[in-house]
Amino acid sequence: MRRQRMEVSIELRKARKDEQILKRRNIANSLLDETLSLGEGKRNEGIIQLSLDEIVEAVNRSNPELQLQATQAIRRMLSTQNPPFNQIINLGIIPRLVEFLTYADNTSLQFEAAWALTNIASGTSVHTKAVVDEGAVPAFVSLLSSPHMHVSEQAVWALGNIAGDGPLFRDAVINCNVIPPLLALILKPPLFQVPILRNVTWTLSNLCRNKNPYPPLDAVKKILPVLVCLIEHEDRDVISDSCWAISYLTDGSNDRIQIVVDTGILPRLVELMGRPEAVVMTPALRAIGNVVTGTDEQTQAAIDAGVLGVLPHLLQHAKPSIQKEAAWLLSNIAAGPCQQIQQLITCGLLPPLVELLNKGDFKAQKEAVWAVANFVTGGTVEQVVELVQSGVLNPLLNLLLSKDNKTILIILDTISNLFLAAKQLGEVDRLCLLVEELGGLQKIEDLQTHDNIMIYRAALDIMEKYFSGEVQKLLDMVPSIASWHYKDGLVVNASTWELKGAV
Amino acid sequence: MELSDDNLQILTEYLKKTLDPDPAIRRPAEKFLESVEGSQNYPLLLLTLLEKSQENVIKVCASVTFKNYIKRNWRIVGILVEDELNKICESDRIAIKANIVPLMLSSPEQIQKQLSDAISIIGREDFPQKWPDLLTEMVNRFQSGDFHVINGILRTAHSLFKRYRHEFKSNELWAEIKLVLDAFALPLTNLFKATIELCSTHANDASALKVLFSSLILIAKLFYSLNFQDLPEFFEDNMETWMTNFHSLLTLDNKLLQTDDEEEAGLLELLKSQICDNAALYAQKYDEEFQPYLPRFVTAIWNLLVTTGQEVKYDLLVSNAIQFLASVCERPHYKHLFEDQNTLTSICEKVIVPNMEFRAADEEAFEDNSEEYIRRDLEGSDIDTRRRAACDLVRGLCKFFEGPVTGIFSGYVNSMLQEYAKNPSVNWKHKDAAIYLVTSLASKAQTQKHGITQANELVNLTEFFVTHIQPDLKSANVNEFPVLKADGIKYIMIFRNQVPKEQLLVSIPLLINHLQAESIVVHTYAAHALERLFTMRGTNNTTLITAAEMAPFVEVLLTNLFKALTLPGSSENEYIMKAIMRSFSLLQESIIPYIPSVITQLTQKLLAVSKNPSKPHFNHYMFESICLSIRITCKANPDAVGSFEEALFMVFTEILQNDVQEFIPYVFQVMSLLLEMHKNEIPSSYMALFPHLLQPVLWERTGNIPPLVRLLQAYLERGANTIASAAADKIPGLLGVFQKLIASKANDHQGFYLLNSIIEHMPPGSVDQYRKQIFILLFQRLQNSKTTKFIKSFLVFINLYCIKYGALALQEIFDSIQPKMFGMVLEKIIIPEIQKVSGQVEKKICAVGITKILTECPPMMDTEYTKLWTPLLQALIGLFELPEDDTIPDEEHFIDIEDTPGYQTAFSQLAFAGKKEHDPVGQMVNNPRIHLAQSLHKLSTACPGRVPSMLSTSLNAEALQYLQGYLQAASVTLL
Repeated sequence: MRRQRMEVSIELRKARKDEQILKRRNIANSLLDETLSLGEGKRNEGIIQLSLDEIVEAVNRSNPELQLQATQAIRRMLSTQNPPFNQIINLGIIPRLVEFLTYADNTSLQFEAAWALTNIASGTSVHTKAVVDEGAVPAFVSLLSSPHMHVSEQAVWALGNIAGDGPLFRDAVINCNVIPPLLALILKPPLFQVPILRNVTWTLSNLCRNKNPYPPLDAVKKILPVLVCLIEHEDRDVISDSCWAISYLTDGSNDRIQIVVDTGILPRLVELMGRPEAVVMTPALRAIGNVVTGTDEQTQAAIDAGVLGVLPHLLQHAKPSIQKEAAWLLSNIAAGPCQQIQQLITCGLLPPLVELLNKGDFKAQKEAVWAVANFVTGGTVEQVVELVQSGVLNPLLNLLLSKDNKTILIILDTISNLFLAAKQLGEVDRLCLLVEELGGLQKIEDLQTHDNIMIYRAALDIMEKYFSGEVQKLLDMVPSIASWHYKDGLVVNASTWELKGAV
Repeated sequence: MELSDDNLQILTEYLKKTLDPDPAIRRPAEKFLESVEGSQNYPLLLLTLLEKSQENVIKVCASVTFKNYIKRNWRIVGILVEDELNKICESDRIAIKANIVPLMLSSPEQIQKQLSDAISIIGREDFPQKWPDLLTEMVNRFQSGDFHVINGILRTAHSLFKRYRHEFKSNELWAEIKLVLDAFALPLTNLFKATIELCSTHANDASALKVLFSSLILIAKLFYSLNFQDLPEFFEDNMETWMTNFHSLLTLDNKLLQTDDEEEAGLLELLKSQICDNAALYAQKYDEEFQPYLPRFVTAIWNLLVTTGQEVKYDLLVSNAIQFLASVCERPHYKHLFEDQNTLTSICEKVIVPNMEFRAADEEAFEDNSEEYIRRDLEGSDIDTRRRAACDLVRGLCKFFEGPVTGIFSGYVNSMLQEYAKNPSVNWKHKDAAIYLVTSLASKAQTQKHGITQANELVNLTEFFVTHIQPDLKSANVNEFPVLKADGIKYIMIFRNQVPKEQLLVSIPLLINHLQAESIVVHTYAAHALERLFTMRGTNNTTLITAAEMAPFVEVLLTNLFKALTLPGSSENEYIMKAIMRSFSLLQESIIPYIPSVITQLTQKLLAVSKNPSKPHFNHYMFESICLSIRITCKANPDAVGSFEEALFMVFTEILQNDVQEFIPYVFQVMSLLLEMHKNEIPSSYMALFPHLLQPVLWERTGNIPPLVRLLQAYLERGANTIASAAADKIPGLLGVFQKLIASKANDHQGFYLLNSIIEHMPPGSVDQYRKQIFILLFQRLQNSKTTKFIKSFLVFINLYCIKYGALALQEIFDSIQPKMFGMVLEKIIIPEIQKVSGQVEKKICAVGITKILTECPPMMDTEYTKLWTPLLQALIGLFELPEDDTIPDEEHFIDIEDTPGYQTAFSQLAFAGKKEHDPVGQMVNNPRIHLAQSLHKLSTACPGRVPSMLSTSLNAEALQYLQGYLQAASVTLL
């Protein structure tokens, strides 16, 4: 059984630490930024302090100098740790800031306003909404075509934050026809400047991100060819965000996966999975992991791209989350037809799988148990024999002590399936012996007192079928029969017979 | 019911009566209370009573009655009209939920527990959706500062939340947990901190400490439940607080909390064991986050182990603590915590060795509760014992440090043996520990059936055996140092595959000698060891120890085994009886001289235990032994069967007359065996019993059916003619049994066994008048509930019928039921299903039967049935050549379960009463393929040209090729 990436609507844990960042705040207060925004001659002069009231007043006045000072002051407030988002929103100045975005003759003001709005949009959904509600999206989209690189770059950033909020704003951005000017930026001379490329790629990834609903298909089709190019770039961050984008596009139904597979990008992704840098390898691994949740053909495409070659290394990665992701990927390949299972064997995946079951992090062990379960369900008897010979039984039985109920149940089911295979080979006794030798019998016996009824039943079932003593074999059971005509001898009601076909 | 004083009074009276020891008073009162359960206000009256009644006994009684009422009625099951099922009206439900928490908290402990249970039952249904205030209400009470109240809340919370430990992850469950965490985690943490502070302020106040520690235990349990499914964000953020405090509690000791009781664990022990569990949970599931804390816990737990005493009350704590170390030490990234030689030495010396020692409590069990001791020691049902935990730790450590650990322990073993040698009668426990240590160290894999299957190569097992084990067993006094004797015997038992055969042979007389030991454990182990040795396999699938090698010991072995059954406490010792059975089976004809005495002793035993059968295994082996005696003796001297009948029938009659249900299936099997030993007609003693076997009451019992069918088959095999001539009036009864059996999906095959025996053995004339009815019954069942098992049996039956009565008779009987029926059966059943028949004899019967239909049934050649001729031949070739079709339709998979009313009496099949497989076709046809070729040849001679033309028109090429092979092998051709 192939398992999609876990859809957790409820999470008890902390948010995952290795996710790509949804929204970013621009707090780079470098000298360069100051220079860009303040213009000549004021570089070292003291920053003018304004009260909130003064800011509101200045923003609403028509004096460009004051507008700039006030906007700058706001931007600075927003570029600190714990910015006062609500306070600033409550000033009611966002409409004015959005208006400033259209002041094509005042680049500095445009830039400061864009920066400030970018940071507001980096807050919670409420904050982002405050920006969007004032019509910032079309204004930012126009700014993409600004002749001033630093302005359009800031607009890219702002749009990235807005799109990253969720499917609703993502589509709002897409519907403002953001894609053509965004893609045009990549080609703007001087070609392929790294800072802008990074920003654009990140924003593109947010345009691909989120489900329910997925991003519109035509948008995806426009973005994908660009991603295929970007992923070949040499900059690490550009590659990383391209991979994240691909991982979002593949995190879905099979037809979405197919669009990505059709671009021929899989070999590159597999290559990136083998990279040592976590920022690149993690999203590439996720993308391929998503692909193999698809059809047998899609999974085969990933295999053909060489995924089985890089997997052993990842299964032994130092980071538990990588081990886990790799094991999940493996479990989905093991859910395929027996030809694919054969490829797992041929490519030497069994030893690292057993190793992971033995010594891996618990989260990864759980996935590895799934891999074994799928393997045993879908593999031929010969393949299952090979699995057992590679030493899977010992760690599998040890994991019966794990404190995860689902895992315990899957292991018990797997043991049952192993017995069915052993039955076909006439090797039930040998398997019984092996299970007992490895201490499994004791563990299964103990599980008969588990509080979870399904676990207890599964354990009982195995005990009764394969380990019931020499004596008390439960043979035939008799139902009580109401109508036994014994006393009258045979009793027959004549009727016409119509025999139905096969049972 | 009004909430009135009158009603309270009435209810009080009835409650009082339910406590009356006289059932005549108690039962009606209970009935009355049950009858008013559906009335409005009833639960509120109970709550009023448990709060306000003047008499304490009524308060308690009301609280128990209330809890049971909630248990029975709160949950509304089913989908019928709601009012019929819902006994508690909505307003009562609301009132209960509004009042129960404060009521519980203000009640004395006895009543508090009942109400707390009731709350968790209600909570299971209503929490959180239909009881949204519960959590807030509970949390608010944390601030009360009254630990009586707080403990009530904690206990309730524990019973509400503990299901998080065993349920599967689901959105509903996690939503609930999240809700609980949001409301509960922070207050719980604050309470935890506050309680710990109070513990230090009240460090000198014993009664306060007791209450506070009860709270801490509950808090630690809640921690486990709330952290079980996944690591909650809150607890990750507050790990420092929790783990630091848990850690310091582990190291805490306070004289005021120490208890004098040696058996029962005290509060301190309970708390520390729960903390070990909590740490183990984190170490296993949240290793990444817990890593920084783990080394501290390893040290603390280890120190705890070093300082904890030998008393039974510490057992749970110690085994939990050792298990924690065992689970950590096999993890590669914690290897470094253990690898230092000093660390290893100290773990071995201070943790493992002390916990392997034979304690006073073990000694007590050895002497006074041997059965329990044996069960724990032999069958390993010793979860949570210190010894098992210590063994697990040894195995865990051996994963990475096998060499050093073996080295350290060898030193210990030697010094302990030296201690023993200095003064055996005082220091015998040192030797016990040494043997245990060697055993746990040496055994890497162990099974019941084979003993140790993989041993540590660093331990020289044979040398240890010869130097340290055998001398003990050779000592003249079998009653000296019984524990060491038991250890020695157990050593032989578990290392029987490692110790060379000549050493085992040396041990056998020693073991036989120890059957006489007074200690139950010692003579039981001796019997068990012999039994295990006798089942070891040698080369060529023979037993390792042969009857010839045992020849010198036969008499003493049998004498001592039966004598052991007379030792106090062992009169129904299953290990001894099993050893008797195994000895018979090994020794075979060398036991014949002793049979007269043996069978007398067995019969007496049988008579004695049939008064009150209580040991199923003992009884089973006893019957097996009886069967073996019969088989072995009658094989050499068939006439001896009479003397067995003489010895056994009296007891059997008594068992049947007294209706000893446990033994009846066995008696039938032994009787079948005896009956089958007769070469001629049935003796009259059996015929007298025959009518009784057809009594419906016997057939109502599950366990009786297989042995009774078996017995009736034996009657038919040996006495069909006698039945036909002398008991013809019983034939309808016999067929009635058949009819009952085929009506059941579970037993239809038994019905067919009986029917097949009737067809095969009864003179045709005696069943003629019933034949048509039999077929109609089968069709009825076929029509109503067809299963694969039924079809398979049906196919075998009709082919057997065909062999016995001829193909034409088969065709005629079908067509007499309904025209063209024969064709229908061929087309819809035989041809498509024949592939499913399994079993060599069954397949042979079908092959010969179908061959007859093809070649000896004229209508197959010249009526509309002719079109089925080639398909039938093709199906037959398929039966010969294709793999068996063992597919079973999905819906049939569960038949046995559905049809089973419950696991009542299972049928206990006696292995040594086994029936030889019977082949009704027998020598008549040796090779069914050749037989087919010859029959076809005969047919083609009778009507030249027809057969080849039928073959060439529609038989597929592959089948034709096989057929040509058969013809060649039979050296015939078709004309």
